Amino acid sequence: MIHVRNLAKSFPDLRRGSVAALHPVTFEVRPGEIYGLLGPNGAGKTTCLRILSTVLKPTGGAATVAGYDVRTQPAEVRARIGFMSGNTGIYDRMTAAEMVEYFGRLYGLDEDRLRQRVDEIFEMLQMNEIRDLLGSKMSTGMKQKVSIARTIVHDPPVLIFDEPTSGLDVLVARAVQQAIAALRDQGKCIIFSTHIMREVEKLCDRVGIIHRGRILAEGALPELEDRYGEPDMEELFFELISRHDRELAEQTA
Amino acid sequence: MTWRNVRLILLREVRDQSRDRRTLFMIAILPLLLYPGLGIGMVQMTVLFSEQPRTVVVLGAEHLPSDPPLLQGDGINPAWFEDESDARTLAVVTDLPRSPNGDDAEDPADSGRDQAAARAAALLAEARPMRAPVRERQAIRENISRAEKSLSELEDRRAAAEQARRAAAEQDAEATRVHEGEVERIKREMAELSGRIQGWKKDLDPIEEKISELFAKTGIQVLIVVPDGFQQKIAHVNEKLKRRTLDAADEEDYYSGPTSIANRADEKSLIAYTRVKKAIERWERRILEQRLSYADLPSTVAMPVNADPIDVARKEQLSANVWSKLFPALLIIMAVTGAFYPAVDLAAGEKERGTMETLLICPASRTEIVVGKFLTVMLFSMSTALLNLLSMGLTGKYMASMAGGGAISRMGDLTFPGFGSLAWVIVLLIPLAALFSALCLALATFARSSKEGQYYLTPLLMVTLGLTVFCLSPGIEITPFYSIMPIVGPALLLRELLAPSGGSQPLIYAIPVLATSIGYSLLALWWAIDQFAREDVLFREAERFELGLWIRHLLRDKDPVPSFTEAGFCFVLIMLLQFAAFKILHAATVAGVDMLRLMMIQQLVIIATPALLMGVMLTTSPRRTFRLRMPSLGMLAIAAALPFVLHPLSFELQASLSWFFPPLPAEIARTLKLATGNASLWLVLLAFAVAPAICEEVAFRGFILSGFHSTRRTWLALALSSLTFGVMHMIPQQVFNASLLGLVLGLIALRSGSLVPAILFHFLFNALAVLHGRVGAEGAALPDWLQEGPATWFVRLSHQTVRYQWPTLVLAALAAIVLLRILVKPGTRADEAPAPPVPPAGASDARRTAGKPPVAVG
Repeated sequence: MIHVRNLAKSFPDLRRGSVAALHPVTFEVRPGEIYGLLGPNGAGKTTCLRILSTVLKPTGGAATVAGYDVRTQPAEVRARIGFMSGNTGIYDRMTAAEMVEYFGRLYGLDEDRLRQRVDEIFEMLQMNEIRDLLGSKMSTGMKQKVSIARTIVHDPPVLIFDEPTSGLDVLVARAVQQAIAALRDQGKCIIFSTHIMREVEKLCDRVGIIHRGRILAEGALPELEDRYGEPDMEELFFELISRHDRELAEQTA
Repeated sequence: MTWRNVRLILLREVRDQSRDRRTLFMIAILPLLLYPGLGIGMVQMTVLFSEQPRTVVVLGAEHLPSDPPLLQGDGINPAWFEDESDARTLAVVTDLPRSPNGDDAEDPADSGRDQAAARAAALLAEARPMRAPVRERQAIRENISRAEKSLSELEDRRAAAEQARRAAAEQDAEATRVHEGEVERIKREMAELSGRIQGWKKDLDPIEEKISELFAKTGIQVLIVVPDGFQQKIAHVNEKLKRRTLDAADEEDYYSGPTSIANRADEKSLIAYTRVKKAIERWERRILEQRLSYADLPSTVAMPVNADPIDVARKEQLSANVWSKLFPALLIIMAVTGAFYPAVDLAAGEKERGTMETLLICPASRTEIVVGKFLTVMLFSMSTALLNLLSMGLTGKYMASMAGGGAISRMGDLTFPGFGSLAWVIVLLIPLAALFSALCLALATFARSSKEGQYYLTPLLMVTLGLTVFCLSPGIEITPFYSIMPIVGPALLLRELLAPSGGSQPLIYAIPVLATSIGYSLLALWWAIDQFAREDVLFREAERFELGLWIRHLLRDKDPVPSFTEAGFCFVLIMLLQFAAFKILHAATVAGVDMLRLMMIQQLVIIATPALLMGVMLTTSPRRTFRLRMPSLGMLAIAAALPFVLHPLSFELQASLSWFFPPLPAEIARTLKLATGNASLWLVLLAFAVAPAICEEVAFRGFILSGFHSTRRTWLALALSSLTFGVMHMIPQQVFNASLLGLVLGLIALRSGSLVPAILFHFLFNALAVLHGRVGAEGAALPDWLQEGPATWFVRLSHQTVRYQWPTLVLAALAAIVLLRILVKPGTRADEAPAPPVPPAGASDARRTAGKPPVAVG
């Protein structure tokens, strides 16, 4: 469902000139699986996912999502993905129901289907009591629920989550993780970025460890453990990252 | 773009805004409260505030003639004022002995009167020291005027003596010598007298200085000093008139009148002085009439012209005048403010609240999002403007009906304009609101936060206010040229439509005004959409800005050709330099050769140098930037042929559009004439053809076009480079002409990939214009074979100008079409500068490899 080939992105930067946020990366995600992008802050996770959601344009390479090219068919891509990140806030002056319905309509759902979906989702995420609450009055957890509801209102085949649990307390984070797992069980193709090992171990079928815009290692968790002979995910992660930094230092030296 | 999404976004934004208390307050509540509030305030002010009386002190009042009396009771005789109530605005203090009032010790007003008396005494005490210098000044002035009188007598005597000397010169040498001596003596006397007058005049300065010093210390607005014996002198002349013994040479007729002292730089003093002056004039008139009657002359003698004005303004016209000024101004300012706050909230606010990305990942395209937001902003802009107008109009009307004969009614009757005019208000509001909404949205999209957004309001408002004030200035009326200017066009049209004299005549401007306004709005909307499609604008992060860092970035991250922004900056720089040099060039009284030399220096310094410097410093390949390569021969041929066919077309087009542009200021026309007047042809060609061809091409087809084209939007680059080229010419006629030529020049430069054909074209075109002007100016220099026979089909001499006849124009147009087609047709395109080297993967040059490159506008 998601094919990424040599995807690259660089930004002009006042201080350092042109900065490559993403060196060519290649990976793919299949339906019914959760692909985890694991990396420290600033690794290029957000850039990569923003390109997949067509908000940013790549400066090199290609990516298709649900069979559509992110560069040439952005509208088609957007209609088939649900995207949620720390940056996708909800409107302060809209109620939960209005918010979800608004996006449902933008995704082109007709009124009957919309009503059905909204009821279904509100039931599933247990958010009927905040139905008519304005965004400004909600707690972080409530907002996150509304965001998830907004993400899946059109029942997209592909879901992109950019650090969906960052800044949440354990309870809410757990609810979010459960919602994501449930979506995988429905056969969705899910890509998921995080810097929390526990989440990766719990949710992801396959991971890509990304650092400084490069994918350093990729595969199913047991596979990685075998390949590097390191059963502890956290150790493995540090090992890969520091080795890469050493290599970079040697190159520049 | 689907309207469903636009409508969805529009409805959401409107609902969102109407849930925002601040926006609602700004847009709906404020106007509804503001004007009635202002109205109440005004009523309060007029009730509480009556004009403070100004202090007028009269010294020597006892010397004033008693018939007719200037003063009456405590003040100036109300009969001398146009409006008798004006007398009350002047509090007059005289040094006349106060009339003893009936001494009722119990009079409650007594203490007040005592206070007034004390104040009067204080004022008089302040005023009295000025009496001496005033007298001194009067004495000197009397001396001066007497001396001037004798000076003119001496002059008469001298003329007579000279004549006598000339008459004697033919016969008698002895008599001649006597007369010569006489003339010399008179001349000496005159010189001495003039010297004395000069001395007296010099004496006046310190005295006046002293008076002004003393006056500044007092609280007096006007001081009148009546000279001693003034009354007797007037009576004396009156007596002589009655006895018919007055004659022109009478020494005693000269007498000084009252001196009035005021400080015109002080507004209070100025107002009081104006009133006193008018009263004294009327009083003087009465005295004159008296004298005329003593002399048995009709009183009409003093009014030999007796002009009689008729003011045909009717009441409703006066009121319409008030509205025709207020409505356009208010409409524009409220349309801006009404657009601004929602725009900031909708764009920058959305970024700030973190919902921008939420919106960007929904299937609605960016165009749909922008159009939806734009329509919301426009709706609020229009409602703000209309609510303000409505509230102000109703308040004004109510106040006018309430106040009756108060100060407000003096502005004119405030009845509302008719329905037809109000419909026009709405029709013209649409393009205005659209323009402002799109501009505000683009600015707000660019802003990182609401706070940053607010900062952009001030410049926008300043520009708008400037244009509004321009539209309000008396004497400005709609012309074809103004009608196509943004903001100014609609405002002037509205003013004209609301004005009382406005019939159907201004309606012919409705089409150009509406068409261009809608065009500008679409341009602004396009800019907003463009802003919205740019990642660096949408995901702008707070970056530490340091000038040094930025300059280092400019010098380090160079591209082979300049960037879009650098091209824009180069143009701004050229314009600023032009502006700075404007004074030198137009104040200079030099003519001829010096003028030409100055023009060449201007070309070199102002136009070529900035572009060359920027090209060398900011790009890695000045060669590519300035298109320094040999063109193909074909291109050279086209560039050489085009001027000859375009010159007649351009000339006749400009001639046929002369009605459209405001006439050239006389100064500039004169300068142009001076410059081309009598210099040698070679020099004129050098200054008007060679220098511009090289300098302007280096700047506009070199640096600026390369920069604008760096984003690969060919037509945008062409349009912008030719527009900037046009604007650089400053004078509206030339702006239009040069913009069109800029298109052709840009095409030539882009297609040939070389600057040489553009220079060639530019040189030939300008040279033809110079030659054409020359032939016309010399009139008869047109060879005979052109003046007769078949040649008259093609050219004709009229008003010292060679005019091209239609066969010439048709042939030229056909040839131009053929040549331009060759230029435009992509097949014949001479290969352009080689494609930029592919950067190391993902390393640099992000812009160029992107599918649809973002572009910076403005």
